[in-house]
Amino acid sequence: MRDHTLKYLLVLPAVVVVFATAIWPLIEAARMSFTVGRLNRPGSLEQYIGWENYTWAFFEEPAFWNSVYVTGMYTIVTVALTTLLALGLALLLAPGGRLRSGAQTLLILPFAMSPALIGVSFRFMFNPEFGLFDAFFGIIFPPLADVSWLADPDLAFAVVVMADVWGWIPFLTLVLIGGLASVPRDTIEAAQVDGASGWRVFKDITLPQLGPVLAVVIILKSIFSLKTFDQVFMLTNGGPGTATQTLSHYIYFNGMKYGQIGYSASVAWLMVIPMIFLTYAYAKFVFRKN
Amino acid sequence: MTGKQKKQFFNAIHVVLILIAIFVMLVPIIWIFLAAFKTHVDVYQLKLFFTPTFENFGTVFDDPYRLGEKLLNSTIVAFVTVLFAIPIATLAAYSFSRFDMRGETTMLVIILATQFVPAVVIILPFFVMFRDIGLLDTRVGLILVNLAIVMPFAIWMIKGFIDGIPLDTEEAAMVDGSSRLQVIRNIVLPMAAPGLLTSAIFCFIIAWNEFLFALILTNKDAVTLPIGLALFKGEEGDLWNLLSAAGIIIMAPMFVLALMIRKYFVQGMTMGAVR
Repeated sequence: MRDHTLKYLLVLPAVVVVFATAIWPLIEAARMSFTVGRLNRPGSLEQYIGWENYTWAFFEEPAFWNSVYVTGMYTIVTVALTTLLALGLALLLAPGGRLRSGAQTLLILPFAMSPALIGVSFRFMFNPEFGLFDAFFGIIFPPLADVSWLADPDLAFAVVVMADVWGWIPFLTLVLIGGLASVPRDTIEAAQVDGASGWRVFKDITLPQLGPVLAVVIILKSIFSLKTFDQVFMLTNGGPGTATQTLSHYIYFNGMKYGQIGYSASVAWLMVIPMIFLTYAYAKFVFRKN
Repeated sequence: MTGKQKKQFFNAIHVVLILIAIFVMLVPIIWIFLAAFKTHVDVYQLKLFFTPTFENFGTVFDDPYRLGEKLLNSTIVAFVTVLFAIPIATLAAYSFSRFDMRGETTMLVIILATQFVPAVVIILPFFVMFRDIGLLDTRVGLILVNLAIVMPFAIWMIKGFIDGIPLDTEEAAMVDGSSRLQVIRNIVLPMAAPGLLTSAIFCFIIAWNEFLFALILTNKDAVTLPIGLALFKGEEGDLWNLLSAAGIIIMAPMFVLALMIRKYFVQGMTMGAVR
């Protein structure tokens, strides 16, 4: 067979799978978002109502805006915290040696843990009666000794953030260590010989060199933060009330629990829009590399 | 302080910070590990020393929890997902790596982008479709949707590995009269084997840990391990000793697999955007 035909035949199965499992659902979800779409009402997925689901979300549903707010705050806080802490840890671990490479190996473990299990373990750790972190925070900051973490809206949000940051620091750290390895050593040494302080070296040499990697890390983490579902579901199930209800959780609840699948499809599509921008930014980095 | 003393001082602080970081990273894991060997009395106390019991690991496999069924489901779903994903992805990755195609960049970007589509968007149409054709609560249905999250990773990761294989051997074999398919089978596949195994393990971990699809699509027969965690809610709250035992069964095999491929974990997740 000629290469000319073969090269398209080789990609065909993959293209079919990607189309069937990702592109088709996107298109179908868009169609569903313009219908009444009730799970318990046959035929309602063919009853078109124009933009009504979208206007409903925008103008009649405070819960939608609440989940937008929660997701936005969650994304900002987790991206900032995870990136800063991971950068610090990467700088600590980058020099190598036995202790440091041992630590790098251990970093893989939280990352291989299922996010649902991370949610469970943090609920365990923050149990008011026998949670280890609960006891720890109670000792270092006594006003927190008797709080019930997951029953308080702000503290529950803090716990969800901590679980997320804990789960993602390892991955970001490993990526940044990789980035640090490509910062030329002789430039740093030359600056040190010239008497530049550690902070100056970091600010003027390391950080600019690390720029593209940091950008990739921030984009990726933003994407994953926006989508967060598993930990939230297992930790707080969106509660107390709707204090930790992210967009994914809101969509799940409306679609699966209330059966308003048309409406939840419209919110789901609203969620795709920021993803498109982030994916575009990410793709630019990937293809600049090649 | 002299320069040398200063350096030693900062070095000591660094070591302390690293030890704290390791501690924070490991504590939740160790705590689950300990709880899995505690009795249902000890687990409700902050005990560090206790008489360990293996009872929990027996209980989770008995009625009414029957974790064995979930373990079987998880294994089959993750294994078959990988079994389909890797060969399909390998063929495509080879083609993307070795040939110029019309619309190649567009295809690669779309494949990349599908990884970022929120799972909750993908699952809504599939739920309706599976309900209509009777695939709800089946392993087949779960495998189909798992392909959606695994394929983009597999294609990009394997492409990265094939890009790294030099062209010379292939060209020499072509001159000697081998066909393209023979070259793929006899030269590329053996050389890419470590990369394919790495990608397979990576995809296995993703499929194994997948939560949202299984939560929505399964309720009894096809329930996987992460969803099975919800079983351990008693009348009086969570049964933490059993939850922890189940947690170990979920995470321990993934730890082993992840450590096997740790060098490539970052590359897999970033699709080669960062090396």
